[in-house]
Amino acid sequence: MGIQPKIIGLFLLASTLVYSQEKPWSHWSIQSSYFQPSLLRASATIAPTRFYTQQTTVAFIHGFVEYVLEPNISVRGEANIMAPNGQLVFTNEPEKFPRNYSALYAGFGYHFGNNNWKLDFHAEPGIAFTEMAQDPYSVIPSRFKWSACPSYQLKAGTSIYFSRFCHFFAEFNYGNGWIRKTPLSSLSIAQYGISAGLGFHLLTKKLN
Amino acid sequence: MQRIALVLLLFVVFPFKAQENRRDNPAGMLSLGGRTTVSLFNELKNEMSGSGVGGQFRLRFSDAVNTDWFFDYITSDILNYAHRTDYHIGWSVLFYPINNHNYFHQTTQFKPKFRPYILAGHCFDYSKIEAKDGTNALDGAMYAERWSSAVQAGLGTHLELSPRFDLSLTGQYMVHLGNHIETDYDFTSGTLSFNEHKGASLAGHVLVTLSLNYKIAKLWGFSRR
Repeated sequence: MGIQPKIIGLFLLASTLVYSQEKPWSHWSIQSSYFQPSLLRASATIAPTRFYTQQTTVAFIHGFVEYVLEPNISVRGEANIMAPNGQLVFTNEPEKFPRNYSALYAGFGYHFGNNNWKLDFHAEPGIAFTEMAQDPYSVIPSRFKWSACPSYQLKAGTSIYFSRFCHFFAEFNYGNGWIRKTPLSSLSIAQYGISAGLGFHLLTKKLN
Repeated sequence: MQRIALVLLLFVVFPFKAQENRRDNPAGMLSLGGRTTVSLFNELKNEMSGSGVGGQFRLRFSDAVNTDWFFDYITSDILNYAHRTDYHIGWSVLFYPINNHNYFHQTTQFKPKFRPYILAGHCFDYSKIEAKDGTNALDGAMYAERWSSAVQAGLGTHLELSPRFDLSLTGQYMVHLGNHIETDYDFTSGTLSFNEHKGASLAGHVLVTLSLNYKIAKLWGFSRR
């Protein structure tokens, strides 16, 4: 066999390899684009959060439910609950920080990216429910009072949808608001934190 | 005969054209949304900027006219001796001076766009001003409250990110028309007192609102497309 048939044979072999690599990948990416309108996703995780004006870091129990309305738009509700004894790093006086803290948010998300790897941005108005000491300098046991504080949360994150029912997500969260019902100056609840973990999803409508 | 036929043809064509326009009419579109508000330049002496949260639905009446029906819960500080809570429930009319046609005439690729508007409306409000420490040794709970009515007007714009979803930024001035509450604080003795003035007052505040809205239904003028 001369050199020419060998070269032709190699070209043919190379072209079939390229072809075989391309087609299954494109086929996979079209077929398995799990992020679509009607997708319902939810998760719960622990979210370390820093109240940076109070020099206090806490652990939130964080959960969310999200529904995809359009290819780029979703509606989302979420909750943060301060874990019992969840103050991880505490440098403020305990009387000047909420004994209990929970927050509810609802808003919309915008999603970029193709197929199964998405970048997400969310804006969510909400309310923080806080319980603060009312007699911080009293010797006798303090009274505590609940108050509802207007708040909002902004989020930026990413999600990877790797199967029909599961995805990984990681988000950076920023929130702000004020607790006014205190005998001292109002307390800022400006905070940033991260949440990440395994999420679950389901397409609630049949695909066309 | 030919002219009569041409005129008749035109009469037949025009109603079809009119009907086509009616299908494009966004009247009856209902949106639902959440909002966050910053309250600035408040009426009370020493009152600082406030922040709030609320919700709204939006009902559109024509190409050029829309309405917002809202609820707001706003809190603010009066230095460090009192705090104020406002509840607003009301409505506003939005008028789109430009870009009010071709609402549904989207190209195959939707492009985000701004839609500015002028806004005016009315609301009922309840305000409560409380001393920071909540109580007074002699008088018990230290607070004053009022029910009043207010009117508001301003400017804003939607940023339409999809045919059904928009962000809206509004700046408006709200004038309260009811009784007026004043706080007097003696910094030397640390005593706080409230004075209520009867009669209308034109005091108010600037409200800057960011809302997120999604169109959920068309209540009338529905047509299959």
